[in-house]
Amino acid sequence: MGTQMLLIPISILVIAALVGLSKAKIVLKIVSTLSAMASVAMIYVGILGFRTTLELKYNLFNSSSLFTSLNWLVFRVDSLSAFFLLILGILSLCASIYGIKYMEKYFDKEDMRVYTFNYPIFLLTMYLVLICWDLLWFIIFWELMSLFSQFLVAFEQSEEKAVKAAFKYFCMTKAGAEFIILVVVLIILKVTNFNGNYSEIASILPVYLSAHPAMLYALTFALLIGFGVKAAMIPFHSWLPDAHPEAPSNVSALLSGVMIKLPIYMMFRFFLGFFPKDVNIGLVIASFGVITLFFGTMYALLQTDSKRLLAYHSVGQIGYVILALGAGIYLISSGYELLGKVALMASLYHTINHAAFKGLLFLTAGSVIYTTGSRDLNYLGGLAKYMPLTAVSALIGALSIAGMPPFNGFVSKWMIYMSTLPTPTLISLFGALALFISAVTTASFIKYFTAIFTRPPAEEIEAKEVPSSMWIPQILLAVICIIFGIYPFFPLKMISSALGSIGITVNLDALIVYPSIVVPKVGSYSPIIIFAFLLISTLMALLLIPSRDSVVVSIWRTGRSDDLNVSMPAEGYYKDFEEAFSEIYVLGGTSKRAVQKVAKIGRTFGTNFEVLSYDLDSMLSLAMVLILILVVVLGGVGL
Amino acid sequence: MNIIFIAVNLAFALLIAPVIDGFERKIRARLQNRQGPSILQTWWDLIKLLKRPTVEPQGSIKSLYKLAPYITFTAVLTAYLVVPTLLPSSMNFIGDFIVVVYLLGLATLSFVIGAFSSGNPYAQIGSNREVSLFMSEELLLALIVSTIAVIGKSLSFEQLFPLPLRISSALALILLFVVVYVASARLPFDIAEAEPEIIEGPLIEYSGKHLGLLEYSIFLKRLLLYSLLLNFIIPIQNPIRLVCYLIGIVILSVIYSTFEAYYGRFRIDQAVKLMKKLSAVALVVWIIAVVGW
Repeated sequence: MGTQMLLIPISILVIAALVGLSKAKIVLKIVSTLSAMASVAMIYVGILGFRTTLELKYNLFNSSSLFTSLNWLVFRVDSLSAFFLLILGILSLCASIYGIKYMEKYFDKEDMRVYTFNYPIFLLTMYLVLICWDLLWFIIFWELMSLFSQFLVAFEQSEEKAVKAAFKYFCMTKAGAEFIILVVVLIILKVTNFNGNYSEIASILPVYLSAHPAMLYALTFALLIGFGVKAAMIPFHSWLPDAHPEAPSNVSALLSGVMIKLPIYMMFRFFLGFFPKDVNIGLVIASFGVITLFFGTMYALLQTDSKRLLAYHSVGQIGYVILALGAGIYLISSGYELLGKVALMASLYHTINHAAFKGLLFLTAGSVIYTTGSRDLNYLGGLAKYMPLTAVSALIGALSIAGMPPFNGFVSKWMIYMSTLPTPTLISLFGALALFISAVTTASFIKYFTAIFTRPPAEEIEAKEVPSSMWIPQILLAVICIIFGIYPFFPLKMISSALGSIGITVNLDALIVYPSIVVPKVGSYSPIIIFAFLLISTLMALLLIPSRDSVVVSIWRTGRSDDLNVSMPAEGYYKDFEEAFSEIYVLGGTSKRAVQKVAKIGRTFGTNFEVLSYDLDSMLSLAMVLILILVVVLGGVGL
Repeated sequence: MNIIFIAVNLAFALLIAPVIDGFERKIRARLQNRQGPSILQTWWDLIKLLKRPTVEPQGSIKSLYKLAPYITFTAVLTAYLVVPTLLPSSMNFIGDFIVVVYLLGLATLSFVIGAFSSGNPYAQIGSNREVSLFMSEELLLALIVSTIAVIGKSLSFEQLFPLPLRISSALALILLFVVVYVASARLPFDIAEAEPEIIEGPLIEYSGKHLGLLEYSIFLKRLLLYSLLLNFIIPIQNPIRLVCYLIGIVILSVIYSTFEAYYGRFRIDQAVKLMKKLSAVALVVWIIAVVGW
């Protein structure tokens, strides 16, 4: 029974996709319900996966001539996959339920089949990426995932922006995937003798790569580009701020909450499961992480489009995850065993936290779009009066991503600081930057929250609370944010079991000393006591100094009788700070121009090439020259 | 035992924080050739405020506007569970340096959100300044925290109080001394509350009990930061720690209020740029600490 469970989400989602081919209006409801059911099944599979390892094997072609690898289709769920399956299940459950009402607003504008067919397939491919246990099958599912998510980004086909963003997204992730293919081919050809089974690779590869450091670095380089593009690691991030805002909001929640976590999942598999732990690799990954979180968040500060702001924060928060991963590898391989493990735990913890709060924030941004039709922070304002539930959940999301105690973001950030700051290495400086960027994140979300919900709008906006099928998923995610913040012991247990499945054993008894999380001799944090004290003392203050007897007056208008008519636009929020730190933005601008120049050169080169190869003769001779160059280059490699 | 110590520390903080402000007012008055009010004047002001009814502006987001002062107050108060004041308590399992930094961040955040909820444009301008200053101050603080963490190889106050005697720790504490000053909302850094320009900024709509709570939390925050700084210097097992601590508080008050009496207000961009420059210095201090001096 247990292992057959793996097939249930697949079959439900395939049915959903087939139903989705129909044009009838009821299809949206059916597809969303089926997807939600499949998500519940995924959660169940995830929970099962923590208990035992599930495995299913199919001999597809029954021939020995094909790659042994493709011949066997192996599904296997260990604790690491189970952990990510839980993220996928929870988020897709919320996004599917949310979609029932939210997607209705597109009924007259767009062809709904683009959504109803692609949405279940997108979920399915993400699910398959997580449960497949073979590199060749992985790359197939991975490419399919990019393909179908791209259709979802381009859902609003009447909008040129959306189509362009989808195209950019597809080109970049496709180019990234080529690098992963290179890695997969290299590993299968050179090392494992046509076998892509993860268990096989994990037993052979570390030994081989320890003996061949050049190969190790080459593979790392290719993987960092390949997964870096998908995870939106700076400098390969530029598709994300375009693509995520253009997708329908529940899809953005999935893209941001789950899809960009899958490269993280694979990075854990590769860098911890398949590769020997190397100091330099750790340092390089951590550097990319710190660059990503720094620039991603600094640019997020500038945004005035609600979903674009969130998208830039996805880049920034992925930076935290990557920083922690790199720091973990670095610290473990340079002798700080315990701190390294804490960093790796922090990485996974931040992954699940980010899924929860960013999913939540995208859903609330979607609710705002649903009722007001606007993403413009300069225009919006004062919505908390009309949409209290959405406002509360957005506030919880904002506090969580800002890392305020006692919410979930704080625990994972705290673990990152614990592991990085006290080491006398470069990693300590990375930790300090992460601490600073956390303040920038706070500022950015003060802007996000106040600009949408509390600040009086320039002109009155009529809005009402979203229907229950939209606020329930929001509240659900908000509750997860709170629980993971106040009671982190349960997720920590899952994480240690997930790390155990890739060979990193964490002694949890040393870390969890009720009611605190303790990193021995380094620091401690007791979420329960902090939360209880905050709650009790606030209640006591409310009792002792009650302010019920308040007088309602108009706001103070410097003595004039009419309104002041001044309201700070969202773009004016932190002008002085942005000006003082303008070097950072100048740097970003310069690199952008440089990239554009390169793209332009490429285009002129392409045009010239086209002109040169106009007739058959010149085409052939050009091809000859190119092949010659290729041979020379390859010959050089062979030497 | 520890719980009693904590209770004593909390009671001390709640009682003394306004008295320290009164003391500083007295010093400033003397420096400006005035007589000045009694040391207890701040307490009388607070008691008066806490008795008064509150005002609630039309068009404000009521629940947030009303709740914010309480959260600001309790967030600062919670930090006292971790930072010992009068008695050397060791409640290290509750939190560490990072927790204190974030609790103060929480106080700032709820303060600002309350101000935005009031709907007053002056409150918005003030809050933006507050947050801009908070960010740049946090850059400096982050570098100091990492320097101290490198020196003590820890973030737990049990290991950090007191810091070992090294060049880097002295430099880090001097920088911390500056941060404490900036974070305590005084001239020349009271840019967010600038009274003559934007009429107390975030505080503009608050009155009565709310205003009292917010002012109280500013006093508590100052005392907390003083204690933090002093704890890094005074050995925790010292038999005359109590005396040293009290003398330290008085000295810090005198120094800080002298600065305050003689300075005019910075513009926000000047303050942010100053923080940026100091952060460069902090980076150098961090390098010194990593080298091992």
